Amino acid sequence: MVELWISLVITFIKVLLILGIFLGLGAYLTWFERKLAGHIQARMGPKLVGPFGLLQPLADGIKLLTKESIIPRNADKPVYYLAIVLSLAPSLLLFSVIPFGPRLSIFGYEIKPIVSDVNIALIFLFAMGSLAVYGTIFSGWASNSKYAFIGSLRKSAVMIAYEVILGFSVLGVVLLAGTMSTVGIVEAQIKSGIWYIVYQPVAFVLFLFCMLAESGRVPFDIQEAEAELVTGYNVEYGGMRFGVFPLAEWYLNVMALSALAVVLFLGGWSGPNILGPFSPYVWFVLKMFSLVFFVLWLHWTLPRFQAKDITEIAWKILLPIALLNVVMTAVVLYLV
Amino acid sequence: MPWMNLVVRERVKSIFKDANVQSDSKSVRIEVPKAKLLEFLSYLRQKEGYRHFIDFTCIDFPEHPHRFQGVYILYNPEENERVIVKTWAEGGTLPSLEKLWSCARWAEREAYDMFGVVFEGHENLRRMFMWEGYPYFPLRKDFPLEGIPEMELPSLTEVLEGRTEPPSHDYEIMHTKVATLEDLERTEKARLKKKAQLVLNWGPLHPGTHGTIWFLFDLDGEKVVQSDIILGQLHRGMEKIAENLYYFQFLPYTDRMDYISAICNELSYVTAVEKLLGVEVPEKARYIRTMFAELQRINSHLLWLGTGALDLGALTVFLYAFREREKIMDIIEGNAGFRLTTAFLRIGGVHYDLAEGTLDVVKAFIKDFPNRLKEYHQLLTRNRIWLRRTKDVGVISKEDVFNYGLTGPVARGSGVPYDIRKAEPYAAYDEVEFDVPVGEVGDVYDRYLVRMEEMVQSLRIIEQCVAKLEKLPRSAPYINKDHPAVMPPKEDVFMALEDMVKSFRIVVHGESAPPGEVYSSGENPRGELGFYIYSKGGSRPYRLRIRSGALYNLSIFPKLIEGGTIADAIALLGSIDPVVGETDR
Repeated sequence: MVELWISLVITFIKVLLILGIFLGLGAYLTWFERKLAGHIQARMGPKLVGPFGLLQPLADGIKLLTKESIIPRNADKPVYYLAIVLSLAPSLLLFSVIPFGPRLSIFGYEIKPIVSDVNIALIFLFAMGSLAVYGTIFSGWASNSKYAFIGSLRKSAVMIAYEVILGFSVLGVVLLAGTMSTVGIVEAQIKSGIWYIVYQPVAFVLFLFCMLAESGRVPFDIQEAEAELVTGYNVEYGGMRFGVFPLAEWYLNVMALSALAVVLFLGGWSGPNILGPFSPYVWFVLKMFSLVFFVLWLHWTLPRFQAKDITEIAWKILLPIALLNVVMTAVVLYLV
Repeated sequence: MPWMNLVVRERVKSIFKDANVQSDSKSVRIEVPKAKLLEFLSYLRQKEGYRHFIDFTCIDFPEHPHRFQGVYILYNPEENERVIVKTWAEGGTLPSLEKLWSCARWAEREAYDMFGVVFEGHENLRRMFMWEGYPYFPLRKDFPLEGIPEMELPSLTEVLEGRTEPPSHDYEIMHTKVATLEDLERTEKARLKKKAQLVLNWGPLHPGTHGTIWFLFDLDGEKVVQSDIILGQLHRGMEKIAENLYYFQFLPYTDRMDYISAICNELSYVTAVEKLLGVEVPEKARYIRTMFAELQRINSHLLWLGTGALDLGALTVFLYAFREREKIMDIIEGNAGFRLTTAFLRIGGVHYDLAEGTLDVVKAFIKDFPNRLKEYHQLLTRNRIWLRRTKDVGVISKEDVFNYGLTGPVARGSGVPYDIRKAEPYAAYDEVEFDVPVGEVGDVYDRYLVRMEEMVQSLRIIEQCVAKLEKLPRSAPYINKDHPAVMPPKEDVFMALEDMVKSFRIVVHGESAPPGEVYSSGENPRGELGFYIYSKGGSRPYRLRIRSGALYNLSIFPKLIEGGTIADAIALLGSIDPVVGETDR
């Protein structure tokens, strides 16, 4: 009985830590993105609130929270609110199966830096990824606006196409590691000493595509398309209700999918020991943020695709490549 | 531009016996009876090569038995000749030309809206700028300039506190009519009968429309089944205003039409007025005008590039373009004193002499800008996403260019080398060297390339202007103040008695123009901006018609977007690049 309570308390602490760290990081990623965008675009970015504009996310948060939020008269209220929950919850749940470091023991208890090490972690990830589309669809439907509706329809078309490719691109890694547990995949990479990006470069590129599409970043940000749809599915939300959508989609999702890419292809927390016990975490965060940086960099450089182009690329080009990649991996594994 | 030559005039006279051909140094005008009009115009189009529709408008003569006269301006691209065809609207009606030229539909709707002339055979004769149910025709001579006060619009104070006696502040209680929400709804319903799943509104305020245009899209999923445009949210009645002002007073109003390229507008306007008044412009002024018009063209194209890329999601290009734009704005501000609506040109010259150091700044800009252009090319030109969004979208055929009266980069993108700077050189364009870039396919990508190349050519022109201006002495005149209709520069007005008297006379009585008709146009960044001035003598134009390039270019939009997606619409609109101040006037 005591064991159970202790494990519950530990899990609770882990959940709080993850929530605190990643919601905070999500907020500060806005600062980072604005600063980065500023420098890409030959301007300064936020610099007035606090040193280097570091308090800007706080100011934005206060602004969003204190804003009057307006709900359209003909909105479907329960669904309208449900959409907010449904977009935020899956992206937070994604973090629950991501391992940030090796096992460690504190006071004799062995602790894994992962909320729940389940052996179906990848399937759980896909489930959550697919669930996120409901947030978009509900918000588009419930706000009773044509712009929002078209935006959410576009997004769901993209999600459906790219979920398939995401699944197939990851399958190669699963074949190599022989497990669906995220911890298992990282440990398999450490054991063999080679990151899976070496064996699966094609899958990695496909994964990056899916990452952009799932998180709605340029060049796949058709659901927003501010020039056509006036920011699309979240146009009728205001205040923090609006703030949740970019937070979940642009920041939490990007971070979660980058972390997943690190786990699957870049050897997770592995790396030379430079900082003693903190070294694995530093490596993990470094790898994750270099991917996040890559996404932001693309966002502020490229134009955007059309909806029909995105789905066309997915079904006609990426899906055959992904299938071929899986088959090749399986055949090679069988022969070796 | 040369007008219809003598051979053709004689031929026309021999075929159409009742055609009344008049010609002078300013224009060639052919008057035909209404019954013969369609036959005559289709003859001109098919046999004589007058294929390019430039403009159509009406003039109101209240004392004439037929009252309204229709004026058609046509252009022959092979011979580079123009002609004006006129006809009286007997019984208040004219035959519709929509079978001959598709863009006549919009021009006729405008004439119907402004004059109440009915067009027989027009498929959808709706109001163009005013809303459905508006009872008056504003450009008729009996419509007062300030409108008819008949609607009570209380102030907010009155609504809250009730009307007081005496009134709380000095204002008119009765106003001229404004559209109510019901009116707008009726207008929307009248324009588009829903055929497919849902009607999507863009506008009147929408980030994609670059102004207050109102687009209606009938969508089947993402596909556009039909679309229409409701204009008039920025309609200020420029033509009516012009009829009530002296020639020099109207100049600042032209800034407010295509506010992105104010100096080009002014240049077109003063060229037309100078033609009417017969004013010679000194060499220095011509070169200053050319240089600033080309700077303004680069400025305008940069705005198009920035917003066009922004519409397609490339956020960074927007700020890069604005960085360069700011430099041009500085040059213009340093000389004209204003950034956007400059009012820099004057009839007979320019307002100020070149400010000190201008040429150095311009030279620095010329040196720096090609590198910036390279940056834009790197970001977009070979970008696969950009290609996918712009290639084969909104293809305009050569035939449609003439059919819809398209001009400017939109026409040149389709391979029609129609450039007024070459066809009818004004300012110093006949003395500088430049090429006219043309496209091949006529899609959005070609129009993009044409505009990018135009910036390079503008730079070439500016370079030559700078070289010329450096050679001219500083004391060279920048305004032709000897002409009786030209206002002397301000420093002379304060110093010399004759100049003061002359300035006083013009400000009070206006320039006295000879009677006559002038059509003159300039090559604006958005197409041909033409001014048709009908003068009966005196200091005010009897009728001043503004031929807007943006309006005619926009008229092909509903046709092009049919079958495209909503995302194509934004790319297409960006490539047509209308400015609402000019389409609505």
